[in-house]
Amino acid sequence: MAASAPELLPYAKIREDLFRPLSSGSGTYWLTVLACFSVVVLGAVAWGIQVNSGMGVTGLNRPVFWGFYIVDFVFWIGISHAGTLISAILRLTDAGWRKPVTRAAEAITVFCLMIGGMFPIIHLGRAWLFYWLIPYPNGRLLWPNFRSPLLWDLTAILTYVTGSVIYLYLPLIPDMAQLAEHNVPWRRRLYRILSLGWTGSDREWHALERAMKLMACIILAIAVSVHTVVAWDFAMSIAPMWHSTIFGPYFVVGAIFSGIAALLLVMGTLRRALGLELYLTKHHFNNLSKLLLLMSLLWFYFTFAEYQTVWYGNEPSEMAVFASKIRGPFAPFFWTMVVCNFVVPFILLGIKKLRTIQTAMITSVCVLIGMWLERYLIVAPTLGNPRLTAASGIYLPTWIEFAITAATFSGMIMLYLLFSKLFPIIAVWEFKPHPVEED
Amino acid sequence: MYLIAEFRDQPKLEKAILALKDTGIGPADLDLFSEEPIEFRRGILDRPSRMSLVAVLGAIVSGGLATTGVYAAQHNYVLITGGMPVFSFWGTGVITYETTLLGSVLATFGWFLWESGLLRKRDKTAPVPLVPPEAMCLRVRCSDTQAARAQQILDASGAIVVERKGAA
Repeated sequence: MAASAPELLPYAKIREDLFRPLSSGSGTYWLTVLACFSVVVLGAVAWGIQVNSGMGVTGLNRPVFWGFYIVDFVFWIGISHAGTLISAILRLTDAGWRKPVTRAAEAITVFCLMIGGMFPIIHLGRAWLFYWLIPYPNGRLLWPNFRSPLLWDLTAILTYVTGSVIYLYLPLIPDMAQLAEHNVPWRRRLYRILSLGWTGSDREWHALERAMKLMACIILAIAVSVHTVVAWDFAMSIAPMWHSTIFGPYFVVGAIFSGIAALLLVMGTLRRALGLELYLTKHHFNNLSKLLLLMSLLWFYFTFAEYQTVWYGNEPSEMAVFASKIRGPFAPFFWTMVVCNFVVPFILLGIKKLRTIQTAMITSVCVLIGMWLERYLIVAPTLGNPRLTAASGIYLPTWIEFAITAATFSGMIMLYLLFSKLFPIIAVWEFKPHPVEED
Repeated sequence: MYLIAEFRDQPKLEKAILALKDTGIGPADLDLFSEEPIEFRRGILDRPSRMSLVAVLGAIVSGGLATTGVYAAQHNYVLITGGMPVFSFWGTGVITYETTLLGSVLATFGWFLWESGLLRKRDKTAPVPLVPPEAMCLRVRCSDTQAARAQQILDASGAIVVERKGAA
């Protein structure tokens, strides 16, 4: 293992390898960016139609008023836990293998939060009135309802975005200062502004290390709270299979689970696309795969506990939702979810011989599909089977919702590609050999 | 005036810093430039920090202000609560919690900018050395009378190059 440890490479080579992708761009890269941009444009057009025509163009209708938009919101906020939470845990435990992983993870958080944060606004319908969410005294007799989980979401996500952006930005400063030395003029100017005149003095390093440690502690508390609050959007309503005390931790576990899957997928893609085989080694994938397997088992445990309690309680309205998932119209989605989130990780990652970079990526794709389905299965069946049986209904999403959902996935890929061209995806300064850490 | 000494070896650098401190040049007059953070034993080049305290204060101020704001808003509007208390920590605790952490984040970032000197440069005319790869450059601020002795210490400690820059 030691022979392939990237820390043992000469620093000049590390610098060259990690800064190189910033100055070179292949045709495939720009083609991918263009393709993603086209899908984003399609999503923007779909949203434009929705804004122009009203929410009637979506599949949302009585009694299912939450659909793809809320599913996507929960999904993206969940994935955002990849970054900051994983990075903070690894930083606080001083895990040596974290170095090539943390920035890729932190960037995921920022972009996912940006995308996820858009969905409540898209879901509002009248997006131009989004500022009504912000609690401020006003003359319209709209009193800010501080007890509304919607307002809790706003506060939680605002805090998480602020923390995550700062947490991503802080360790970028020394790298940007280095990049400001050798680059084309516009980039030099950009890096110089963003690096705030960093000189590499011991005062700056001390302050940076202290700030990173403190931020890691704070961000852990924020990350856990954010997804708990998202879970409470559901759990605070007395709807069948939503009103559950374990929804908070269940959502947090699911979020970390999908987050690790997203991180593995991003790392695998970057490793190949940017030629980072020396830095993102099998060791990193192996460790993260084990973490993914652990989260898969935890997720299964929570899911089992949740469904077992409902089944044992045998309460009619809860059982209607339960049945629609297990053997009703949502059964294909439910069993696909179980296969994707439990069976595939258990086999591919649990058997040591099968645990490779490729299987880790395949598992990650499966987990992301499974976790999106899990969010869908939380939202749609409950709303379609309310306590008043006569009011039940079916949700059929339209192309508008599909297009907007697809646009967010493409948007995520596009943002990540652009980020990897502007900033080193691995923190270069953290790679310098530390005698203390080698011990 | 400033002396800039380049070192390649951390023990030699530590020896130089300790010797300089014995002559009356304090940690405030010393700045070490490097491409990576250098860790010293306690007592070599300590940089006491109040960042944790500031983070806690930021959290208290922000959480307190937000809670006061929520309390005031809930009492200033005529609300029909159906018997529930107008202001309840069960209902608004999440907002208090999140704004407390937001305050902590912002205070930490603000204090990082302050403490690192990025926001306020102590001396804008102070020379910043170009640090060669694998090197550590020690910048010493000293008076004309201290300069000769300081240079002697730096040379004796094993500095590769020592340069004099700027006026006293």
